[in-house]
Amino acid sequence: MGMRTILPILLLVGLLIGAVMLDRPQPPADLTFINRGEVHSLDPQRMSWLQDFRIADALYEGLVNYDNDTFEIVPGVAETWTVSPDGLTYTFHLRDNAKWSNGDPVTAQDFAYSWRRALFPDTVAGYADLFFKIKGGRAFFDWRVKQLQDFAGRAAGVDDAARLKLAQQMLEEALQRYEQTVGVDAVDPHTLVVTLDVPTPYMLDLLAFGPFKPVHRPTVEPYLHLDAASGAFRQHYGWTKPPLLVSNGPYVLTVWRYMRDLRMERNPYYWNSAAVQSDSVVCIAVEDANTAVLAYETGTIDWLSDVGVDYRADMLAQKQRYMDRNAARYQELCDQGKSYNEAMEILAHESPPQPGERNDIHAFAAYGTYFYNFNCQPTLNGGEFNPFKDARIRRAFARAVDKQAIVERVTRMNQPVANVLIPPGSIAGFEGAKGIGYDPAKARSELAEAGWEDRDGDGYVEDAAGQRFPTVEILFPSVAEHKSIAQAIAHMWERTLGVKCRLREEETKVQAAHLQEHDFMVSRGNWYGDYGDPTTFLDLDRTGNSNNDRNYSNPVFDELMNQADMELDPVKRMKILEEADAMMVNEEVPILPLFHQVTLYMYDPAKLRNISTHPRLTQYLWELKVVK
Amino acid sequence: MIAMLIRRLLQVPVILLVIYTVTFTLAWLLPGNPLEREGRRPDVAVQDAMKAQYNLDKPLTFYVSYLDQASGLAWLRGDSEKVFNLGPCLQYQDWSTNELIGGALPVSIVLGIVALVFAVTIGLASGIVGAVRPGSWMDVATLLIALLGISLPSFVIGTALLIVFAVWFEFVHVAHWGSPRDLLLPALTLSLPFAAYIARLTRLGMIDVLQSDFIRTARAKGVSETRIVLRHALKVAFLPVLSYLGPAAAYVMTGSFVVEKVFNVPGLGQHFVNSVLNKDLFVIMGIVLTYSTMLVLFNLAVDVMYRWVDPRIEFA
Repeated sequence: MGMRTILPILLLVGLLIGAVMLDRPQPPADLTFINRGEVHSLDPQRMSWLQDFRIADALYEGLVNYDNDTFEIVPGVAETWTVSPDGLTYTFHLRDNAKWSNGDPVTAQDFAYSWRRALFPDTVAGYADLFFKIKGGRAFFDWRVKQLQDFAGRAAGVDDAARLKLAQQMLEEALQRYEQTVGVDAVDPHTLVVTLDVPTPYMLDLLAFGPFKPVHRPTVEPYLHLDAASGAFRQHYGWTKPPLLVSNGPYVLTVWRYMRDLRMERNPYYWNSAAVQSDSVVCIAVEDANTAVLAYETGTIDWLSDVGVDYRADMLAQKQRYMDRNAARYQELCDQGKSYNEAMEILAHESPPQPGERNDIHAFAAYGTYFYNFNCQPTLNGGEFNPFKDARIRRAFARAVDKQAIVERVTRMNQPVANVLIPPGSIAGFEGAKGIGYDPAKARSELAEAGWEDRDGDGYVEDAAGQRFPTVEILFPSVAEHKSIAQAIAHMWERTLGVKCRLREEETKVQAAHLQEHDFMVSRGNWYGDYGDPTTFLDLDRTGNSNNDRNYSNPVFDELMNQADMELDPVKRMKILEEADAMMVNEEVPILPLFHQVTLYMYDPAKLRNISTHPRLTQYLWELKVVK
Repeated sequence: MIAMLIRRLLQVPVILLVIYTVTFTLAWLLPGNPLEREGRRPDVAVQDAMKAQYNLDKPLTFYVSYLDQASGLAWLRGDSEKVFNLGPCLQYQDWSTNELIGGALPVSIVLGIVALVFAVTIGLASGIVGAVRPGSWMDVATLLIALLGISLPSFVIGTALLIVFAVWFEFVHVAHWGSPRDLLLPALTLSLPFAAYIARLTRLGMIDVLQSDFIRTARAKGVSETRIVLRHALKVAFLPVLSYLGPAAAYVMTGSFVVEKVFNVPGLGQHFVNSVLNKDLFVIMGIVLTYSTMLVLFNLAVDVMYRWVDPRIEFA
């Protein structure tokens, strides 16, 4: 054998040593955590996922920030600002010492440029519609879409060079039009004037949100090119990788490896660097829920921001045992004015968890609701009869669901039961309606009012002509939790109302496409609010809204929402929105809310400081601190 | 030999084209919209702009332009900077499929090689032990282990190993990748089913060979039993193992989705499964092309090695 055996072995060993040498692990960071999933994009204008926004908040700073505890608006890059009496014009004064991570000053032009990117359909910004509040924003976006559609006709039959020339001309025309028609004006490097189409009382709230954060123009521009095929400009996203990415927030990006890890280090140029608690933050990507919990248990990470394991209900029960044992002391600490985190930290030192207890899992109210959609179209997509076009039937079905039983025995997470879409108490100044709860007797009587009763005593309801109620098909994504809930609800409807139900389980992507096409009878839905205003939830029921899966349309409701858009007096505006909300959750019920979402975190209360308990799920990484 | 190699290499593009076409058709027919996702949906105009950008509204354009970019033709013409441009990643917009495969494939290959070394070592050793004394307690023991290795799913073995070595003994880190120690558990988990199969192959082959005439001759000549087993018998009994190693090598280096998930190994298997779930067309096509190229080349390599080990074999 001789060489024949040794050569391949030598090759293998060499290859291995080489590969291992190339792949050195990172030094440990001050804070290590697992995000809700891998980051999709670090381009603020193109983001739309919570985990992306969490990293964006650490890398970029917008004009304003949220206060982590109260969620009030506090200054960011803008030191001060004024709002005109009609609520339409915002003037921001940017601070002198705001700098990019390469030392360049952050200017009003940077913001104007970044927002312009969002309003160009070429950028395909997922949150472009938030910029439609700006004067001329919607009109410009639609105009450019039309212009690009015309490109195909105008450029027919010419070669690429001529097409590129035409695309360039059209782009210049578009830029000119943008300057003239859209209400964003960088008056000087430190003054930005924003004009709106309609007064938007939550505008500042939006400005603290990821898509309104600035990008560094000289870094982005080299990655743009005109596309001869479509006439649009396209971007290559190489600039979001380290060490190219230039940011203006608390951190700079130093490592980003797909589905592995992302590392950020303190940005020395950040004006408020003194407030940054950790010098380095590492976010590791873990796909498997169980591995993520093990990573926390073995000390690899300090904070697990989403607990997805099946046994989480049992972990919560262990936490409950700990809280029950320390109930008196916890109450005492709360009475002294201690926050949840402060009280838990003191308890952790005074009374460590005993076997069978734990104090490191934490359930916080989230700004979202788990619900069921009723298809509200006159007929189903195939032209079949749709019973749920009738609000009485929707109400009857809503009253027949025992939500308490679902959170206690199906999810076993004891989420707050929801009769309304907007989580109560989550928006200051908004007093939501009560909604309708579990009431089987009323459910049956309301169904009878709509003409459906059990006339022949076979246990199923029929109409006056003796026709049985159509089989109710429940569409849900193929996930164990959604399936159990669908089974429970189907059982409740069959038992309480005397209707037949059928489950329709589909792959997540497929189900999402069917939702958009309104191709369902009843379906599972979910919504998290984006900003602190009722419209972030109520817009779902507006005619033609891109997230109106139910295809619900009600001119009276639309009119109320339009009125609210134009109302200047914030108190009056909230009253109108309360009226619209009551109409949806008490009368019309296109959405059947089941429970409000809860966020589960794992962290040691004696070690990790400053986790925000605010329902909006925003966590400023730079405020978190690990006590070693 | 050389002519054979050239002929086989010329077949590669044809095979790949067929695979590409079939995969493309299947992936395109998958229900669901790749840009659709759970949660908030952008404005309709934004959605249309997204579709148009990636040719997701024109299957034929997509088919031709992707083939052009991925095959290197565009690069030959000077229209593309990258030789093999496998396209953008639809779900993770900041990444290209090239970057994604470039980061994950080396990890999968390293893990695969170590697993293969484990599999061959464990498999040969227990196969030989079983063959030398068939029916002994050692034979039964290795048979039992092989049975467990084949029948227990790797997420059970993997999780058990993690709990023992990471949680109880704290010998390895969870969800950590980059040091040689991180390789051990995933490679072991990945190797077990292969080790079990190799053990059975070796044992059967050895029992067969040990009864053949030339072994009897060797024994008659007074050659030591160790030398008979390791030098004479093993050389022949190894041939079926070798032919099994080709597909096995391709499999361990590419298809270890479950093991990658349990140990959080940043390899290619996860990306492949996720890309199908996300209907991420560019990534599906890119990974399928990479996998099939590897598979075709591995099989070719095994054929060449076969001849090297056993010169009696002629190529048709």
